[in-house]
Amino acid sequence: MFDFLSDRSGGLCGTSHLKRREFLQIGALSALGLSWPQYLSAKSAGAVKAGHDERSCILIFNLGGPPHVDLWDMKPDAPAEVRGPFRPIRTNAPEIQLSEILPMHAKIADQFSLVRSCHHDGAAVHDAGWQIMQTGRRFTGGVQTPHMGAVASHLLGKRNDLPPFMVLPELMGRGGGNLPNGQAGGFLGKAFDPFSLMADPSKPNFKVPDLLPPDLIGAVRMERRQRMREVVEGAIQQFEASEDARLMDENFHAAFRLMTSEQARSAFDLSKEPDSVRDRYGRNRFGQCCLLARRLVENGVRFITLNTFLTVFGETTWDIHGSKPFTSIDGMKNEVCPMYDQAYSALIEDLKQRGMLANTMVAALSEFGRTPKVNPAGGRDHWPQCFTVSFAGGGVKGGRVIGKSDPVGGFPAERPVMPGDLVATIFHSLGLDHESHLDGPAGRPFPLVDFGRQPIRELFT
Amino acid sequence: MIREFLFAGTCLSLGSLLSLGATESTGQLGVIPASVALHRSGQHQTLLPVFEQAGLPSGIATGATFTSKDPTIVSVSKEGLLTACGNGTTTVSVECNGSITASTVSVQIDSAEAQWSFNRHVLPIMSKANCNGGGCHGALAGKGGFRLSLGGYDPASDYLNITRDALGRRIESGDPLHSLFLTKPTSATPHKGGRRLDPQSEDYRLLAEWIASGAPGPIEKEAGLDHIEVLPARWTLKKGQTVRLLVRAHYSDGRIEDVTQWAKFSSTDETMLHVSNPNGGVEVTGYGEGAVTAWFSSRIVMSRILSPFPNESGETSTDVWQVRNVVDEAVNTQLKQLNLTPSPISDDATFIRRASVDVTGVLPTPAETSAFLEDKSPGKRDALIEQLINSNEFTDYWTYRWSDLFLISGSHLRPGAVKAYYQWLRSEVEKNTPWDALVRHVLTAKGDSLEHGATNFFAVHQEPETMAENVSQAFMGLSINCAKCHNHPLEKWTNNQYYAFANLFSRVRAKGWGGDARQGDGKRTLYSVPSGELLQPKTGRPQPAAPLDAPPVADHEGTDRREVLADWLTSPSNPYFTRTIVNRVWAAYFGIGIVNSVDDLRASNPATNEVLLDRLCQLLIEKKYDLKGLMRVILQSATYQRSSEVTAGNKADSRYFARYYPRRLMAEVLSDAICSVTGVPEEFNQVNLQDGSMEKTDFYPKGTRALQLYDSAVRSYFLKTFGRNQREITCDCERSNQPSIVQALHLSNSATLNGKLAIPENAVKGLLADEPNDSELIKRTFLRCLSRPPKPAELREYTALLAATPQEERRTVTEDLLWSLLTSREFLFQH
Repeated sequence: MFDFLSDRSGGLCGTSHLKRREFLQIGALSALGLSWPQYLSAKSAGAVKAGHDERSCILIFNLGGPPHVDLWDMKPDAPAEVRGPFRPIRTNAPEIQLSEILPMHAKIADQFSLVRSCHHDGAAVHDAGWQIMQTGRRFTGGVQTPHMGAVASHLLGKRNDLPPFMVLPELMGRGGGNLPNGQAGGFLGKAFDPFSLMADPSKPNFKVPDLLPPDLIGAVRMERRQRMREVVEGAIQQFEASEDARLMDENFHAAFRLMTSEQARSAFDLSKEPDSVRDRYGRNRFGQCCLLARRLVENGVRFITLNTFLTVFGETTWDIHGSKPFTSIDGMKNEVCPMYDQAYSALIEDLKQRGMLANTMVAALSEFGRTPKVNPAGGRDHWPQCFTVSFAGGGVKGGRVIGKSDPVGGFPAERPVMPGDLVATIFHSLGLDHESHLDGPAGRPFPLVDFGRQPIRELFT
Repeated sequence: MIREFLFAGTCLSLGSLLSLGATESTGQLGVIPASVALHRSGQHQTLLPVFEQAGLPSGIATGATFTSKDPTIVSVSKEGLLTACGNGTTTVSVECNGSITASTVSVQIDSAEAQWSFNRHVLPIMSKANCNGGGCHGALAGKGGFRLSLGGYDPASDYLNITRDALGRRIESGDPLHSLFLTKPTSATPHKGGRRLDPQSEDYRLLAEWIASGAPGPIEKEAGLDHIEVLPARWTLKKGQTVRLLVRAHYSDGRIEDVTQWAKFSSTDETMLHVSNPNGGVEVTGYGEGAVTAWFSSRIVMSRILSPFPNESGETSTDVWQVRNVVDEAVNTQLKQLNLTPSPISDDATFIRRASVDVTGVLPTPAETSAFLEDKSPGKRDALIEQLINSNEFTDYWTYRWSDLFLISGSHLRPGAVKAYYQWLRSEVEKNTPWDALVRHVLTAKGDSLEHGATNFFAVHQEPETMAENVSQAFMGLSINCAKCHNHPLEKWTNNQYYAFANLFSRVRAKGWGGDARQGDGKRTLYSVPSGELLQPKTGRPQPAAPLDAPPVADHEGTDRREVLADWLTSPSNPYFTRTIVNRVWAAYFGIGIVNSVDDLRASNPATNEVLLDRLCQLLIEKKYDLKGLMRVILQSATYQRSSEVTAGNKADSRYFARYYPRRLMAEVLSDAICSVTGVPEEFNQVNLQDGSMEKTDFYPKGTRALQLYDSAVRSYFLKTFGRNQREITCDCERSNQPSIVQALHLSNSATLNGKLAIPENAVKGLLADEPNDSELIKRTFLRCLSRPPKPAELREYTALLAATPQEERRTVTEDLLWSLLTSREFLFQH
């Protein structure tokens, strides 16, 4: 997996020695014989609907499991132990009521739609839900279904020097269940694992690890190294007949292009954003990741998964069991919600303003919801039987509620929706045929989603 | 029945009219099958007229004419379709361009027998229409309220569901054509699955007649299916030819039925063979040796097709056909059949690097390389092989590789147990314990997990089902997991067989450490108890314990069922056991198996060279499972020693071993190679636990190589990025040698390589110690990194680059020289 665990020592990255002109020279050197694998696009022929090629997706994964009853599926008429401490407020969409702790959501509710009848049959364990919600399947028989972003990059290929599938700020950490978290290429292979940023874009000296050579290797040495490498690379013919060797060569070229690409460097460079914009998103990791996600989509990345948190242990997250080491209801109200409310609303507004929302789906999913009843610690526990997710952009019409939960938010009451349906919905937005097949292990064909799972078409009409 | 085929080979009289661009096949006329026995009035059998060359069918004899000697016994259509008419024996002659041959036909009609049988006809029609497929009514919960067993493995319940379920409204005995059973699949009434059955078809008529005859159910005393066959089982064809296959079902009462139209065909290699017609038409679309599988009633058979490469190179060189041993005999024979020419033998520098890396995972030192290059003795390669096979590095490397198979990992076991498990395995590899004995040892292990390391195999797998799945996967290359819930859809394993096999492990017990890899001492005593059964959840009763395809074990007092399993598993008569280990060893040396992938030895996945695999299996059995003996034969073969250079005569080859195939070094080997070339070791001092947390370890003193680690959970960004096996499940696919952009970025920019090059006390300092001139420096560096001297052009260009650098940059330019060689594909790849 592409996570940049911190086995690197800090301070080696830097641009000080590299001027733009020098970068371009290196780029020119490595431009010989470049060809990003065309088979990717060839493969996609037929599986992609026309007119969808400009589509991208930002998947916000609300790690921890937000309490639907406290946020987007309020139950003001339920008994006190269900309705909890928060009150509903009106929004700019007549159909949608939200919690008072999401005031900025309320102002843009006409831009997103809620699905209040999600449920899954996986264990009420974080990693089980991560896996199911990001791939549409529970892993059985040793078969690891790829993340939707891996499927999209497999079928659609990349648009330019930037990787087609990225994870911000880094891959999910431990969830306590020792299960694969579904954030990988799965049976498609590591070539389709996401490119994980492994850095916090809200840090003042934010850099992408390994993107640039260490400071001590200046442009002159970099060019010398490339020249030397070309000598020995050019002398060997037999590698051209080996697919892996060609892939390695292409990877080196792609890496050099990434290193030398103005576009890539600029996409990652948040200092290009005015302070007012950076402030609007919030000067925290999640906020700046949302901003970075917008920049990356603008620069051609097809699929970005944005983990709101990295683990549920020792962090203030959506995992509001009420007491330590988890998060309290006040922790959610005072820290998590303001951060999330601000960044999410900023992202939607910004995309809308730039005319990007129509082609960018923003899906907010989580591994599960939380118990209808408040527990003795004043929090709520894991509840995959019913929860709410949201979709905006990418063809989705906002301001609506799909599905309905029962009077306490315990089970879906109308139009139950499974993870496979959510995954199919995202594929649908990207123009992928959810009934087409991938080649799985041992030649077993796997449909993009299990038979019978369908996009939530009401969202798009 | 649909009978629309294009036949590529034609009788000469029609050849000029019908030639389809492919080379005409001629040869001796033959007819398949040579004899036919029919038992039901109106029963069919298709005759296939073929041309044969050197005993192998080489095409269909299109335009052949058929004549029945006695049409009152059997009639024959223009296309060769026989229909039984009356009792007796006669012949049907086949004529093509003056050649004549004949098939003997006997008809013995059993008038007491019902025309259509549920098991023999109704179910096969439904299977062919895919009614009982996994995505349709064969799903565990059925579809649209109608449930069938997957692939028809449970006829009794299928019959019940068809005739009784849904208030019996699927069958209308009085008005068969209005039965839902017919109106749904023909889409006369709305059917979500679309139209699956043509109302004009013979299958439709058959189903209607079956309903009209009272829809009889499965007959108890009806003879079961003994086996199926596909005809012809082998062909030699040319690209562009289209042929067809026949499938016959042999029942245990001796009757044979043509079931071609109900068989499902699929190509094992879409790049060369295409099933052009669902009723057995096959088009040859490429070159190589491939197969088409035919599935009928949960059985699978294969027709193998050879399609020689065009190879217009005109190479006639004979000195590339060296034969050292059995490997070369089998490989060369196939290469000749496929019209491929092997590459010449590699040079000595390539060979020492290749053999050192493949046998020990370690690069040769510059001194070793120089000595080998200077050695003029003819037997020096054999001598090198012996030296490598008997080295300590061999033991490290192969212990590491087998540790992948045995899942030695600190994310499942406590450190003490990991160490005990590893040390047990290492001592067995060191002793070169025969593979069968080693596997027996691990399967029947008992006692304390810290003293008897092998018992930890059962600590990695905590319940009978996972033990069964992993034993099957690791030692037989068979994935039986699917059969846990239903009959295996791609394989022959049934749900009952799965539970019978898993039940062999139901009497394994352990006391002590509970299985939490984060805490405890890992001390656990494994033992076997005399009773206890695993229940087959479908019946709620235990399935009598039995190895796969073997009779149930007889339980005697004090028998450990695992002993019975070990006897059966490691017996030379268990083909899967020997094939799996031979294939794993082969794949370790060639990058790809004779069967691909190495974890997929199911019957429907053929070897690329069946003879080679068979001969090596015989050899290993003769050598009593001595793996070093097998490796020696592989290493000494001309096949292994061939160059990886592509020649005009083998450029299209990627799996018949006409040359050596380059592949990226495995993660651990690459990490060690970078350390040894730069002279700066890695440090390994943390272990990732199951839950993602970290634990310190002092198992690995400074200088420990990655290949000496006990444990795949040792923290290393480099190893992870380069795809080491995480040892979570038994699967070679867990290891990835696939190159990625992140790897390229990491090699180019990270502290791993840059840091090692920049450290003052390293190999760069050594290279510069005696102030060599440019040419000497380049030669030394090449030998150190690439195990070869530079080519003249390389020496010239590097010298020019060095000459252009001021003397004060001597150190940094040398670092850059190393960097350029260490990031080259020649270094990163085995070749």
